[in-house]
Amino acid sequence: MNDQPEATSVFDTYGAALADRLGGTAIVEHDTIRIYVERDAWVETVRRARDEEGLTFFSWLAGIDWSKDVAVGDAVEEPDGLNERFEVMCRLSSIENADAAQFIAVVPKDDPVIDSITALFGGAEWHERETHDMFGIDFAGNPNLSPIYLPEGFIGHPLLKSYPLLAREVKPWPGDVDVEDMPEEEA
Amino acid sequence: MTTDYGALMHRSEVAVSVELQTQDMTLNIGPQHPSTHGVLRLVANVDGERISGVEPVIGYMHRGYEKLAEVRTYAQMTALVNRIDWVSGFASEVPFIIAVEKLTGIEAPERAQWIRLILTEMFRISSHIVFTSSYPLELGATTPLFHALRERERVLELIEGMTGGRFHPNFNRVGGIKPAAGGGKTQKQVSMDIPAGWLEETKAVMERVLGATDDSDTLVTGNELIKARTVGVGCIPGDKAIEYGLSGPNLRASGVPFDLRKHEFHLPYDQVDFDVIAGQNGDCYDRYWVRLQEIREAAKIVLQAIDKIPPGPLRSKAPRVLKVPKGQVYVRGENPKGEFGYFVISEGGQKPYRLKIRSTSFSNLSILPWVLKGALVPDLVAIMGSLDFVLGDVDR
Repeated sequence: MNDQPEATSVFDTYGAALADRLGGTAIVEHDTIRIYVERDAWVETVRRARDEEGLTFFSWLAGIDWSKDVAVGDAVEEPDGLNERFEVMCRLSSIENADAAQFIAVVPKDDPVIDSITALFGGAEWHERETHDMFGIDFAGNPNLSPIYLPEGFIGHPLLKSYPLLAREVKPWPGDVDVEDMPEEEA
Repeated sequence: MTTDYGALMHRSEVAVSVELQTQDMTLNIGPQHPSTHGVLRLVANVDGERISGVEPVIGYMHRGYEKLAEVRTYAQMTALVNRIDWVSGFASEVPFIIAVEKLTGIEAPERAQWIRLILTEMFRISSHIVFTSSYPLELGATTPLFHALRERERVLELIEGMTGGRFHPNFNRVGGIKPAAGGGKTQKQVSMDIPAGWLEETKAVMERVLGATDDSDTLVTGNELIKARTVGVGCIPGDKAIEYGLSGPNLRASGVPFDLRKHEFHLPYDQVDFDVIAGQNGDCYDRYWVRLQEIREAAKIVLQAIDKIPPGPLRSKAPRVLKVPKGQVYVRGENPKGEFGYFVISEGGQKPYRLKIRSTSFSNLSILPWVLKGALVPDLVAIMGSLDFVLGDVDR
């Protein structure tokens, strides 16, 4: 719970109450409610959030790759203590008020499977296909996990941290000079 | 040689007397087809005039923004995010920059926030005019295009006058907006503000836009031919729209009056007065009608904002080399096409660890297989066009 504002906001109370009712751990940062749930309880939690909490609007579903092996971009702050894992997130919101929450399940890298929520939200099918393309996470129960963005026969999962950006491999990006330290701007 | 007409059966009699065993045919549409607004391929299974199933094939324009974000600094990303949905570039910049502002704790001055609001609404007008003018064209009416695009050109000229760009303004900075173009060191204080006379000119153009909307109303909205092509065609009930994550005018046309501008106040939308336009049937006609009315509401918002805009600086002080503290934030905004959001994960560096882009058209398009099932082939373009998607926004 880093960088959490000291004063308790409506988001903190709502997030904690929501996690309490649905079973999970809430982290509220910058008005964004994240609720970590068990992988086995993934579909059930999403269903209860929809049916009991009024979070009926399916916003998006995506994955994150927490990895020490970073081919491009910045590494995590403390790579040594990092627990290598995937996270699958699904954001649901209300269509009557500003209520919204992100549900997150941790998916181990040696068994990248999670149940599909397509039976609850038809719109999740494409999002799950995209996540399958980009991270190689399987969604058990998704009727059609064929590639959505990648061409047939594409090898690899581009959004994995270990996946190199091929253009950069061939020629380093000249834009790197732009981000070198510059003198502090005067007021 | 004479034909024995008596021996020939009339076509209508054939249809009645013979139980036709038709074979399903696969019809390939696109990837390059004018009605697809980019490169979208549809593989449709047709049984006579009925579509029995359709599989959209996307990804022809996948540019990998989410991967690119991981190798670019936050400032560099602003130039890219407005290219996701190129019809409403500025509107997709705003949630990203607000997300970074939330992570860093740098707040934009009030004047900058109002200018963001004004420009977002002007891009909404521009985006909706593209729809309300090109949609009749897809149905076969040419005139509305010229009528409406003339007004859009005036809006774009104003946007260019302020930002220097017509489509890709790249005008947002962490902590405010870029000062208007021009001016050396001595001129700095003067040129730091918006161009002289810009607000007055905008007011005049907004009045013209309101007039043009009335024109469109008489020219298109009540037009019987347009109605015949769109009323009752491609109906999406409210619950289906919610299930598929449709947002923006597509959702509101289905009778769900949800507008993020009434719930998320990253920009001072709570200080302006406007109506949320909702349709009833969720058909193509309602989706057209909702957008046309939203042009009016957007023009009204701009007119109010011009009266309310406070004086002050356009940019707060922010470090040149921006190191963003560790944190995760999701910020969404009401893009002209619907909910547009960014989930930013920062691990304390100059670049995001992960950026998830919630693009509107991707979700809006995902309902296409459902809504096209059972529709007639001649209605395909009408239904597809009414969803108002941009392929850059679908593919990211």
